[in-house]
Amino acid sequence: MPLTIGKIASLAKVSPDTLRYYERERLIEPAAKSEAGYRLYERDALRRIRFIKEAQRCGFTLSEIRALLTLRGSDAACCRDVRHVALEKKLQLEAQIKAMKIMSKALTNLIKECSVEGRSLDECPILGALERANGVKGTAR
Amino acid sequence: MKIELFYTPGCLKCADATGGLEAAARELIPEVIWRELNALDELDYAVRLGVVALPAVAIDGKLIFSSLPTCRQLRRELTKRIAEAGKYVH
Repeated sequence: MPLTIGKIASLAKVSPDTLRYYERERLIEPAAKSEAGYRLYERDALRRIRFIKEAQRCGFTLSEIRALLTLRGSDAACCRDVRHVALEKKLQLEAQIKAMKIMSKALTNLIKECSVEGRSLDECPILGALERANGVKGTAR
Repeated sequence: MKIELFYTPGCLKCADATGGLEAAARELIPEVIWRELNALDELDYAVRLGVVALPAVAIDGKLIFSSLPTCRQLRRELTKRIAEAGKYVH
């Protein structure tokens, strides 16, 4: 029996708006529409929505998920192709982690510099360093 | 000179192309160090070099090609390096 958007959204623990968004992003589409124009989904769609959610949790963007779903439905593709996509995603995530660690370390150093209590904002080394980094001349404020 | 090719295990595209690329490199630099690295095993190193897509090629520890180069592209890059280094005369 076809499921309404509200029902399938509730089963998948997402909002109906999310499903409409997925539809706009060409990740999912209703199997049919009722006479009144309501979206109707087959039960299989639930599996697809869960797949999308899990892939998002792993850091895949919606366009990457679309590619993964295409791979999943392709007769010519195999697990090796999916592993390739997953490995590239892992490399991208690791690169982001590395960049964030560098940013975190830079902030640690700035926080250490700002150890004096009661300084005016003009003397704040954190604001000063950030403005210097942006090439802004002059005082911190 | 050291050339490192990062690949995904089982990548047919990589397997097809690597022989030709290595031959092209050896033609210009017979003593070239050619390494083929499984990105899964060498993940930290790949991340350190900035590899985010596979296959990728690094030369002397720097990521130079973020996708598989053609033999011609590799030759051009190596020829440029040879000329810069002035170590080899052809």
